[in-house]
Amino acid sequence: MTPTHFAFSSAFMLGLAGLAFHRTHFLSALLCLEGLMLSLFIALSLWTLQFNTMNSASLPMILLAFSACEAGAGLALLVATTRTHSNSRLQSLNLLQC
Amino acid sequence: MTPLIYSTLIISLGIGTTLTFASTHWYLAWMGIEINTLAIIPLMTQSHSPRATEATTKYFFAQATASATLLFAATSNAFFTGSWDILQTNNPLSYTLMTLALAMKIGLAPLHSWMPEVMQGLTLLTGLILSTWQKLAPFCLIYQIQPHSPNLFMALGLLSIVAGGWGGFNQVQLRKILAYSSIAHLGWMVLILSFSPPLTLVAFSTYLMMTFSLFYSFMMTKTTHINSLSTSWAKIPTLTALTPLILLSLGGLPPLTGFLPKWMILQELTKQDLALVAVLAALFSLFSLYFYLRLSYTMTLTMPPNNPAGTLPWRLNPSHNTLPP
Repeated sequence: MTPTHFAFSSAFMLGLAGLAFHRTHFLSALLCLEGLMLSLFIALSLWTLQFNTMNSASLPMILLAFSACEAGAGLALLVATTRTHSNSRLQSLNLLQC
Repeated sequence: MTPLIYSTLIISLGIGTTLTFASTHWYLAWMGIEINTLAIIPLMTQSHSPRATEATTKYFFAQATASATLLFAATSNAFFTGSWDILQTNNPLSYTLMTLALAMKIGLAPLHSWMPEVMQGLTLLTGLILSTWQKLAPFCLIYQIQPHSPNLFMALGLLSIVAGGWGGFNQVQLRKILAYSSIAHLGWMVLILSFSPPLTLVAFSTYLMMTFSLFYSFMMTKTTHINSLSTSWAKIPTLTALTPLILLSLGGLPPLTGFLPKWMILQELTKQDLALVAVLAALFSLFSLYFYLRLSYTMTLTMPPNNPAGTLPWRLNPSHNTLPP
C-alpha cells in the first residue's frame, strides 16, 4: 500500500467512524459525509498524478458534482427535519419505532 | 407534485438503474446508484408528514454511507490492481468492502436496521418502488463481483434469513412485515450466489413478482395495519380470497411459485455438501411463514371481533367491480 493510498484510506476510515458514531446532531453526520467525499476526491485527483495517465482525469470533477448534489439533498432533509420535528437532534427521530 | 417534476423523478429512477446495468466501469455504476438515491428522495418526502421526513432522513444516511464506501472500495481496488473494470475486482479487501457496502444498500443483515423504519414511514407505492426497483441496481453489481470464497455471502444470507424471520415475528404494521420479508428473501438470494448465480436470478425474479402483487393488493384495499386487513373482506371479496395465495407463495409452500427458488437453492446447497446450512435456512424461514400465515388467517379465517353489521366500511367509490355476493 503506497503512502498515498494509506493517507486517503485513513482519512476515509476516520470519516466513516465519525458517521457511524454520531450521536447528537444531524449536521455533524452531514459533515462526516462531506469528509468521506473529500477523501475520495483527493484519491481520484492523486490517481492521475501517481499513475501518469489521463484516462480518468475528469473523475474528480464528476465526483464533486455528485457529492454537491448529495450535500444539497442532505441539507434539504435537515431543513425538512427541523420543520417537522422542531429540532435537528437525532434523538427526536423516534416516530417510527416498533 | 406537478406532473413534470413527478415524471422527471420517475425517468431519473429509470436512468439510474439502466446506467448501472450498462456499465463496466465502477465509476459509472456508482453514478447510476447515486442518481437512483437522489431521485427517490423527493418521492419519499412527498407528503411532508413527520414520519415521511424521518424515513427519508434514515434512508438518505444509510444509502449515502453505502455509496461512499462502495466508491472507496472501487478506488482502493483501482489503486491496488490498476483497473476500474467491474469484473476485475481481485483485491480481497476491496471486494469484501464492496460486498458489505452493497449489502447495506439492499438491506441485508447485519446492516438491515434502517429498512423496517424507512418502509414504515412511506406510502405503499413508494415502499413498492423501494423494495423492488431500488434493489435492481445494487443486485446487478453483487451479481458481477466474483467472490473468491463463499463464506461472506453465506454468512450474510443466513443472518438475513434469521433477522428477517425473527424480526417480523411481533409486527402488526404491514409495511414493517413487508420490510422483514424483503430482508429474508434477499438472504435466500445471496445465500446461493457464489455457487449458482442463475438460481439467484430465479429467486430475485420470483421475489419481485410476489412482492409487487402483495403491495398492489394492499394498495387496492388501502390497508397498512392488520386491523384494517381484517375488515378488507368487505371491500373487495375476490382480492381477499386471492391474497392468501400470494402470502403462502411468499412463505414458500408448494405447489405455489414461491416454493421453486427455495427448493432449487436447498438442492444446490446439498450438492455442495452444505446440508447444515440448508437445514438452518429452511428452519429459519419457518419464522417468516408464521407471520405470512397470521396475515392470511386474520384476512380470511376470522371475522373482526365487533358485530360486522355495525362496522362494515362504506363502499362509496368501489375500486373494483366485484361479483354480487
